[in-house]
Amino acid sequence: MDLTVTIGNGILPNPVGVASGTFGFGEEYGRLMDLSRLGAVYAKALTLEPRPGNDTPRMVETPAGMLNSIGLANPGWERFREEKAPFLKEMPCPAVLNIGGKKESDYLELVQKCEELDCHWGYEINISCPNVKAGGLAFGTDPKQVETLTKKLRPLTRKPLIMKLTPNVTDIGEIAKAAEAGGADGVSAINTLKGMVIDTKNRRPVIPAGTAGLSGAAVRPVGVASVYRIAQSVSIPVIGLGGIFTADHAIQYLLAGASAIQVGTALFVDPRIPLQVLEGIVSYMEANDFNSLKDFHGHF
Amino acid sequence: MEQFHSEVISCRESARDYYELVFTWKGPVPLPGQFLTLRCWDGESPLLRRPFALSAYDGAERRASLIFQKRGPATSIMTRLKTGDHMDILGPLGGSFPSPETGRRPVIVGGGIGTGPVLFLADALAKAGLRPLLVLGFRDKNFVPRVHLPLGCETVITTDDGSAGVPGTVIDYLRSRDDLENSRFYGCGPHPMLKGLHELALEQEAPCSVSVEEVMACGIGACQGCAIPVTLPQKFLRVCQDGPVFDSRILVWT
Repeated sequence: MDLTVTIGNGILPNPVGVASGTFGFGEEYGRLMDLSRLGAVYAKALTLEPRPGNDTPRMVETPAGMLNSIGLANPGWERFREEKAPFLKEMPCPAVLNIGGKKESDYLELVQKCEELDCHWGYEINISCPNVKAGGLAFGTDPKQVETLTKKLRPLTRKPLIMKLTPNVTDIGEIAKAAEAGGADGVSAINTLKGMVIDTKNRRPVIPAGTAGLSGAAVRPVGVASVYRIAQSVSIPVIGLGGIFTADHAIQYLLAGASAIQVGTALFVDPRIPLQVLEGIVSYMEANDFNSLKDFHGHF
Repeated sequence: MEQFHSEVISCRESARDYYELVFTWKGPVPLPGQFLTLRCWDGESPLLRRPFALSAYDGAERRASLIFQKRGPATSIMTRLKTGDHMDILGPLGGSFPSPETGRRPVIVGGGIGTGPVLFLADALAKAGLRPLLVLGFRDKNFVPRVHLPLGCETVITTDDGSAGVPGTVIDYLRSRDDLENSRFYGCGPHPMLKGLHELALEQEAPCSVSVEEVMACGIGACQGCAIPVTLPQKFLRVCQDGPVFDSRILVWT
């Protein structure tokens, strides 16, 4: 059975990764699980400058999900290079750097800097964070900007280039087409959905920023539909995420057209879930005589 | 930290809406101030594991305790836990209360949901022969927990309405004492209590550590969801990994 996933010039050992923002830079969960069995670690979003993150509280639980407003809190390029990159380099599975920025030149400069390092397998470009004032969503909702940014990033690296897309758009297929036209090797979807919870006692949003990003089981059908739409629109690989808690959920994404998946919020429920999902995918493939992940595609 | 399976030994109401949960412990030895996250239900709602500070640990019997308040869906489920029920535990997490400086007497205050970790601390310091002053504050007599209080402490109970123990808050009580020079303050409880303790510690020029609570997702330092504002250059620290016990002087008190 072949579990590998090819994205651009890169090959992932298996389709199960852990989602950016839920896994830090790998050190913490590395003490709880065998990282060598993961398909990939999609690292916490990195920006050129250090970011302290958004005001608190930053999260609240919602029906079968949660809202977060972390605000891309991260140590910035300099401290990343010194403190985080060495761990990623030694990590026994592929590391994908998640790149954030306020403006186009931030993304380009950061990818150029990261090319000096050899700690990573590829890039996931964050054009979909709902929790920052500049950058993030502002890029990811405009197909022209997505294509332009992707085109400018493309010549900077030979490593796999994955654009991470937001579901907060009318047609995510159009955004994916723009990424493909710009030369992306793949797209990942979905980032969180914009949501709000209001404290009726204090008469203000629970999260100081107002809106925040919804994730967890509640968003799963939105994610599956988004991946299906993208897979119908482009021929580059799609990495599906959003509410994957079990192998069955991951298989829904694969059947919808995903070539790989990411587990995010479910890690907060049980850190064993990513490897359980992987085992469940393997069992499903065995039971159905699937030889490779391509056998998941084209059933409907 | 380790993720391990635990069985409930007992779960009983110890005060109005407060419960003491005793359970088997297979992880590394926990210290006072440390916490765990647990899940003892299936399904996707409630979703996240819930964090609780430990209130006791018995190394010989390999069992631990925590005190929780019935507040929402998850803690409502927990009130129905029976002997032998299964829980998934991740712990011990976070840091512990620091040791008192030589020559300073530990003064430990707690109240409400903050009672658990201070009982654990008071017991450990009493066993070390330091005879701490333990002051526990509650709204009224119905909230005074019927739990085993540590031996070897000078223990004082206060209630806001005077229906049990000394009338007033723990801070009122501490301010009525004239023997608090050379104290070493510790606290866990509601925000006004901790703020009052912090201010008292500033006046006394005494060290003060407080354990704080925040909504949490990962509990191990990865997600930055439980950040709290601090006066340090980095602006925020993570309650789960950098805390939950902090020097009160680095926190932003509002």
